[in-house]
Amino acid sequence: MTTLEQLSEAVGAGKAKDAKALTQRALDEGARPGDIVDKALVPAMAEVGERFKRNEIFVPEMLIAARAMKEAMNLLEPHLVAAGITPKYTAVIGTVQGDLHDIGKNLVVVMWKGANFRVVDLGTNVPPAKFVSAIQEHRPQLVGLSALLTTTMPAMVETVRIIRTSGCPPVKVMVGGAPITQQFANEIGADGYAADAGSAVDKARALVGAA
Amino acid sequence: MNVGLIQLVTPDGCHDVSMTASELALPLSELLAHRGFPLNTRCGGRGLCAGCEVELRTGALRCLGDDTPPPAGASGRIKACQARAGAGPVTVEIPARSLQNHEPAVVSEFRINIPWARDPLVPGARVGAAVDIGTTTVALLLCDLATGKVLAEASAFNAQIRFGEDVLTRIQLCSTDPGAVARLQRVVVDETINPLLAEACNRAGIGLADVGAMTVAANTTMLHLLAGVDPTPMGVHPFRAAFLEHRQYAPRELGLRFGGDTAEVHLLPGPAAYIGADLAAGMVATGLLYDDGPALLVDVGTNGEIIAKVGDQLIGCATAAGPAFEGAGLTSGTRAVQGAIERVQLQSEPFAAKLGIIGGVAVPLGICGSAYVDFLWEARRTGILQTTGRFTDAFCVRAGDHVQRDIHGRKLRLHPRGASGPIWVSEVDIARLLQAKAAIAAGMVTLLSLLSVVPGDVKTLYLAGGFGLHLSLEHAIGCGLLPGLAVNQIQMVGNTSLGGAFLALQDRSLLDEMIAASKTMKAIELNLQPGFENAYIDHLALP
Repeated sequence: MTTLEQLSEAVGAGKAKDAKALTQRALDEGARPGDIVDKALVPAMAEVGERFKRNEIFVPEMLIAARAMKEAMNLLEPHLVAAGITPKYTAVIGTVQGDLHDIGKNLVVVMWKGANFRVVDLGTNVPPAKFVSAIQEHRPQLVGLSALLTTTMPAMVETVRIIRTSGCPPVKVMVGGAPITQQFANEIGADGYAADAGSAVDKARALVGAA
Repeated sequence: MNVGLIQLVTPDGCHDVSMTASELALPLSELLAHRGFPLNTRCGGRGLCAGCEVELRTGALRCLGDDTPPPAGASGRIKACQARAGAGPVTVEIPARSLQNHEPAVVSEFRINIPWARDPLVPGARVGAAVDIGTTTVALLLCDLATGKVLAEASAFNAQIRFGEDVLTRIQLCSTDPGAVARLQRVVVDETINPLLAEACNRAGIGLADVGAMTVAANTTMLHLLAGVDPTPMGVHPFRAAFLEHRQYAPRELGLRFGGDTAEVHLLPGPAAYIGADLAAGMVATGLLYDDGPALLVDVGTNGEIIAKVGDQLIGCATAAGPAFEGAGLTSGTRAVQGAIERVQLQSEPFAAKLGIIGGVAVPLGICGSAYVDFLWEARRTGILQTTGRFTDAFCVRAGDHVQRDIHGRKLRLHPRGASGPIWVSEVDIARLLQAKAAIAAGMVTLLSLLSVVPGDVKTLYLAGGFGLHLSLEHAIGCGLLPGLAVNQIQMVGNTSLGGAFLALQDRSLLDEMIAASKTMKAIELNLQPGFENAYIDHLALP
């Protein structure tokens, strides 16, 4: 098995330490950072997403795989920047104001990176104005809003409203999180909703026209 | 001097019980109760019910009045209240259903680890009521303040449930509907607390006017709703409570119907919005507050509160564990009520499940938290589950139709005919349980690491909450819910919220201790701890 194949397998199995070591080995062996992403990480996360959608694996395993992917990406990102490689699509993401939960949001970040998006993660408790300025700065095609608490859903409504009326460049808005539903997404004028991190990838690709 | 020996086989394992000469004449049920194995003597030990039936494995038992063997029932079992042990060695098996190990629906048992004085909070009151308002269940007990005796207990579901199962849904309702606070206030008082109080008074044979004091322990949201204070600010960061301090009311101010002009209601103080007076009460009742530690108080529930103490340092956190261990949101999950499967023992080849059902009913209602803990451990032990929480392929091949697949994934049948169809444990259920146990485990190790302590250093972990006093600690440790701990470090303490309210009624100085504890405790926001997410993912897998 080649190093890239081994890396792909380690990510799929959620072996974070191996994934990090194999990424380093691939770099040492002279693999191009862009190839490591395209030929090992992207297929690995695509497979994880597919198995999740088929109900063959569940959230715990997906989180474990995503952490392995993150380890590999952390090592690769400086190399990707140095090589001037920028993914075609950019997404801005954050947990809305008033909410500090981010494990679900972080999973979407990794899944999107695994689908070859550049992801700007604004973190948790993000005020609407911060989303607007990030949209102005990074010109993303997509912005993702997350909320775990029922009580922070109104902040999501407000954030969508402010993004829409701020005069910032047009952007697709996607929402998600435990209490969010498709109906709520429709009501607040979001462009898309994903029930889980697996479908968040398909939805994101569809929204930016990459499908 | 010991003259007899009984070997007991319980769902937990084997125990040796020795007897003195004076105990030879005691009914077996009484002897076992003295030794910490109380049976379900529902008829009061009159031989009228089957609550205390045991199975004689070896040796002989005798009738109470003479030396003849006691009659066996239709099941072949013997009523322990009608039998006594002779001098010869005997082995007796106690089935799970005969062990008095549950209070239907609500846990009102608790353990108190500290001494207390008789210096009632409300001088002159003859009887006091201690109340624990849980988001789901409310427990109340009446106490004779002159003697400290518990006169009666009563418990019920919190009638606010119909407005939303969890704290956040109720806060959300208050933030959108201006009438909601008053409505929720009336509902818990009129439909839950007043009826419970009347029921308990009736049982104790006293009048409502005799009750002169009430102490209330609850999470911060429940106390806001009892006081009629809007909890909306607690719904969003920075999660600020309108009040955390001890408050005193006249019963009629809250719509409570008891006592005369001098009667008082005391809302106990709490440390933070998500670590409430229920935990302050628990810190006192368990003695955690007086423990140099390292000590932990863990309340396994939807908000999974954890308090850690090392020396003078006292910190606490809430974890978003979710309600999985309360049976909510799982295919065949249920609370620990009559008919719930509470113990599970598995055999892999051929597949067999031995189930302990609360109340010993034939048709189980579903599976409750303690049985899910057993399941995780047993299924790992027998090679049914992988560390990922999915069934092993080898098991699925040989399990035949015990394992089925539907659009949600695979599921294992534990019982063919439950009250509402077969009883299943699905891979999705297991994933939810893993997430719940990871939240608690990660919360615990994160708090400990902030105090530079590892689980092995913990002197005592007080385990409170929904599991009550009955959970296999070995399995809880083995499935990774309480990682790095050993059974001898853990003490089950039950509903210490009610225990603390009971203490404050009787000893006013303990209210001051709760006030001090609430001020001292520093609340930690787990989501802002850099190591938390990693610890959470680390603890998702099964050991």
